[in-house]
Amino acid sequence: MTAERVRRLGELALPGFAIGVAAGVIAGGLSLIAGQPAGWGLASALALGLPLAVFGGMYGVLMGKEIFRPGVFAPAGLYWMVAFPISRLCHETVTSTLVTGSPQLREDLLAFLAFQALISLGFAIGFIWLHERITPRWLMRIQAGNPEARRLLAKYVQHAEILWQGREQRRTARARSKGAS
Amino acid sequence: MDTSSTPAATPHSSAGPTPPDQEERVWHAGKLEPMPIRKLPDAPPSVHLLGPTVFLVALGVGMGESYMWPRLVLLFGPEIRWLFLIGVTLQAVVMLEMARYAMATGESIFFGAARVFKPLMWFFFVVAILVYIWPGHLSAGAAAFEQITGIPWLITACVGLVLVGVLFSLAKVIYNLLENVLSILIGTLVISTAVVAAIVGTWGDVVTTISGMFAFGYLPSEAMSAAWFPVIVGSIAFAGPSGMQQMWYTLHLRDSGAGMGAHIPQVRGLRHAGEEEAMPSRGFMFDTDNPAELAKWKGWRRWVTFDALLLFWGITMLVTISFTVIAQAAARQNPGVRDVIESGEREAALNAMADSFASAGSSVLGAVFLGFIALIGMNATLGLFDSFSRGQADMTYHFVKGAKRLRMSHLYAVFLWGVIGFGILILLFGPADGPSGILDTLAFLSTFAMGAYCVTLLLVNNRMLPKPIRPKIWTNLIIGFGAVFYLGMLFYSLFQFGVVVG
Repeated sequence: MTAERVRRLGELALPGFAIGVAAGVIAGGLSLIAGQPAGWGLASALALGLPLAVFGGMYGVLMGKEIFRPGVFAPAGLYWMVAFPISRLCHETVTSTLVTGSPQLREDLLAFLAFQALISLGFAIGFIWLHERITPRWLMRIQAGNPEARRLLAKYVQHAEILWQGREQRRTARARSKGAS
Repeated sequence: MDTSSTPAATPHSSAGPTPPDQEERVWHAGKLEPMPIRKLPDAPPSVHLLGPTVFLVALGVGMGESYMWPRLVLLFGPEIRWLFLIGVTLQAVVMLEMARYAMATGESIFFGAARVFKPLMWFFFVVAILVYIWPGHLSAGAAAFEQITGIPWLITACVGLVLVGVLFSLAKVIYNLLENVLSILIGTLVISTAVVAAIVGTWGDVVTTISGMFAFGYLPSEAMSAAWFPVIVGSIAFAGPSGMQQMWYTLHLRDSGAGMGAHIPQVRGLRHAGEEEAMPSRGFMFDTDNPAELAKWKGWRRWVTFDALLLFWGITMLVTISFTVIAQAAARQNPGVRDVIESGEREAALNAMADSFASAGSSVLGAVFLGFIALIGMNATLGLFDSFSRGQADMTYHFVKGAKRLRMSHLYAVFLWGVIGFGILILLFGPADGPSGILDTLAFLSTFAMGAYCVTLLLVNNRMLPKPIRPKIWTNLIIGFGAVFYLGMLFYSLFQFGVVVG
């Protein structure tokens, strides 16, 4: 894979990566504001934020490959049902090792993963919600030097056109009623 | 469809632009000005992520979900949550029925109430002022912010109030700005709640929380006491959007251009009031005899049903399950938190829940928890101030003589800055929740309004809409049940225990 290709894929991955990082650092950042030990907060933020960021970035790349479509929830929900428990497993393993010296889980592995998979639906809704707001603007910025971004933006534009046509139709209807009333 | 033309009906004439020499068809609803027949716009795809429901979620996911229900679960066990399931499901059906009238006419439910009986609308106008001018809802969020940052809550609350006013006054189109801001806030809230619940909760917590929702009929004897029954009634009223929030949703739906709301211009910020198109003096109706129009109507119903089920019901459930899991974890890590929560001191309980996370080694989580409360407070304040001003402006514009000389945006600004000015004065010099002598009355009115809007909905949708788009019998039964549920529990609490709601 050439450096150029890595750059293009990296650009596609950036919005999802950023949301993943944000999810991880929300806890760490607030702990610093609250005056908690910086080391613990940083370790926790990294252990959770990094895997979430990687999976978030991969989501963007897979979207570029047209495996995920803009505005569709179900495939993204399934994706996070796998990705979120893995990220949490990383997080739990790293933090428990730092605190106790050996990796530990609060409950048995199966129950832990099942619980995380259930909670992942909530994470997926929040992730998609934010991703849909951030990505189109970002793609507009990078499309000039990135064909994959241009293609993905075209998908968003297509989606937006459908919405725009609806809006125009409503506007015309309003103008007509104004004229008639 | 029993429409008439003025002066003579043109049967099956298509709705749409009317040549000047031809009289137009209208729909008579009540004694107020009839609604001209216009085309219903095409519905957008039913599967979507963002829409006017974002307002209901922002208003609805508040203290009920983050504090009141977790508290009841700690006191009576997860089985008490069946009442929450009923409360939120009822609210989802109410939301669909509110949307029915707003999307079919482009009018708010307040206008619909006036079509049935004008004093009914004035009742809601007065209740809104009595209940919602008190800035008490700011205190929990601002106090949580003080815990995190050390900035005195009074300063945060006053600055927050002015910022909200400036934000809405400068916005070109208020709806668009608010949808963007609330979307980011809710997205952040949902992600953060999921992350924290994932860190502190266990499979056992979530299983008991969810299975408790199906323990229909469970009501322990302590719950049927003067101390706790009013609290349960209050919590049911706060499951999802409470008070008049569902009624305000019709205004957001109209401003988003849903259904016949497409024929009504959007409300603009004060700075851009001059660009606002003239507001029509009534709504519009579509031709319900036309199968093509009815097909589009079904599309709009699918669109709003998706909103009600996934966005509203789903997110409200998800957030409250997460918060219940968090509260259960807090009580497990620090048994003392149960006593504080039981004592009913809201801020002390929220701080205790936050502290229990910190003391259990998850030091970050205490601050994160308080961050949520601050975020929820911000959501609620933005949504409440906008909705209150929008509702009062709508009723004033249409039903106060001479108000049409002003634009809707001007009236909106008057109510917005009025409630902000009053809020700051009260924060500085008075009781934030309202004078203690009338607190019970305010709590009563807030819950009473919910029973009253169920009755209003039945009257408006069954009498003011054409037959083909009226609600089905099962929907009427559910809304009727809602009226009995809210009013019955309210009056039972009042007469049996002499207490309104907790």
